Amino acid sequence: MNMKPAHLWQHISTKGRSHVCVVAVLALLLASRFLPANSLDSLLGRSGDSTMLLAALLLLASLFWKPPVAAKGPVAAWTPLADLRSLLKVHLELDQGIDAKLVEVAQDTENSALSIISEVRGLYDSANLLVKYLETSSPQANSLGSDIVNSVSYLVEIGAFIEELPAKMTRDLNSVQSVVQEITELSSLVGSVQAISMQSHLLAINAAIEGSRAGAAGSAFRVVADEMRLLAGNSSAVALKITAGLHRARAAVEGGMATRVQESSKALHDVANAVSSIQKLQENFEDMSQYFKTRFAVITQHNLSLAHDIAEVLGHIQYQDVVSQCIERIRKTQTQRNAFLQSSVDKLRASRPDMKALQAALMQIQQDFAEQEDLHKHSARHDKDAVGEAKFELF
Amino acid sequence: MAKTILIVDDSSTMLMSLRNSLEIAGFKVLSANDGQPALDQLKAGAKPDLIITDINMPNMGGIEFIAKARAMSGFRFTPILVLTTESQQARRDEAKSLGATGWLVKPVSGTDLTRIIKQVLPGA
Repeated sequence: MNMKPAHLWQHISTKGRSHVCVVAVLALLLASRFLPANSLDSLLGRSGDSTMLLAALLLLASLFWKPPVAAKGPVAAWTPLADLRSLLKVHLELDQGIDAKLVEVAQDTENSALSIISEVRGLYDSANLLVKYLETSSPQANSLGSDIVNSVSYLVEIGAFIEELPAKMTRDLNSVQSVVQEITELSSLVGSVQAISMQSHLLAINAAIEGSRAGAAGSAFRVVADEMRLLAGNSSAVALKITAGLHRARAAVEGGMATRVQESSKALHDVANAVSSIQKLQENFEDMSQYFKTRFAVITQHNLSLAHDIAEVLGHIQYQDVVSQCIERIRKTQTQRNAFLQSSVDKLRASRPDMKALQAALMQIQQDFAEQEDLHKHSARHDKDAVGEAKFELF
Repeated sequence: MAKTILIVDDSSTMLMSLRNSLEIAGFKVLSANDGQPALDQLKAGAKPDLIITDINMPNMGGIEFIAKARAMSGFRFTPILVLTTESQQARRDEAKSLGATGWLVKPVSGTDLTRIIKQVLPGA
């Protein structure tokens, strides 16, 4: 700092100046013992008295002398108390503004915190509603799945039965064909009957001829021959009827079986396709069921994570209360400090205050504030001392 | 059956935060914004399984509330947790001597709170 000695002197307190002057006087007195007596000493009557006089004058001058101040206009009279009161008034108004703002901030943060809590709770409720819906849907889907599995199981059994039908029908057809074979064989037997009938007829004719030759003795023989011829004729007619009947039966059996096998073949093909589709449907349903089970597990896990995160968020929101309480403590300390300042300025009007006592009182307010904050330090996020210390204690 | 918890705090934020945390965790929640209304609820027949109380409240603080609740029949053994921003040992000892079950420093996460509650309320 570039400062003239005269101005530097002004920055030293009166007490400091006294100390400097006492040192200067002592130095002059000491010097007077070693300096030769002068005319002023002679006038004053004693060696060194002039030096003492000089020192006393210097002391008085130093205490009351002020360096000349360059005039910059009219100088107003300084009224320290009035100025101090004006300053305090501005300070108190400023603090009132700050205090009102602190209250407003605390209220705003509380409103915001309540809104956040409300929104977060709504989020949880929505997620929970989804899980409850899924929880309700899951048993219904499982029941439906069981029904489908049972139905498909029945259908598969029916399909298996139908799949065996062609073999069964083939076996039946073979049986029928053996019947037809039997009928064919019966037809050949009918042919034998017809041949026997023909031979019997010829035999009867011959017998009738021989009976005629025998005359009256052969009349009985002719009767037998007529009867035999009649029998042969009847046998032949019956054989023809049997043959016709067997032909019709064979045609009916063979024709009917062919038609039925043809019709059944198409139906069986359709059934086989239907069973295959149903089996595929069952597989698809099982895949879908597994997919939704996985999805449900994922959503449930997601909801649990969401609930955990929401619980954490709700915990962090509690810092709003921690901050509000801190603001309240700051406001309380400000109020105490301002009351103290007001009181101190009031005392200045009455008498010269005890500055040490005032300083001690202000320091007490500071200490009280520090102690209060120390009581709540574990609530603060940034406090290094609080890290690692138990925030919970069960008695 | 869901356990019932009474929370006592003069901060709306704390009441809402705790209420929602606890309800999400499956508890039934009662609340009061001061010691006296909380006592009134107990006198009116509320039977919480657990009480969580703040210490610094405008009319009746948590310490006084604990003392008065413990003096009531039916609440001698109800667990009472203190939840406050304070952490000094002397206050903890005072609460303990009056019958508090535990001391928690704000803020407390929902996860930690649920864990502690399950310690003092087996089966919760």
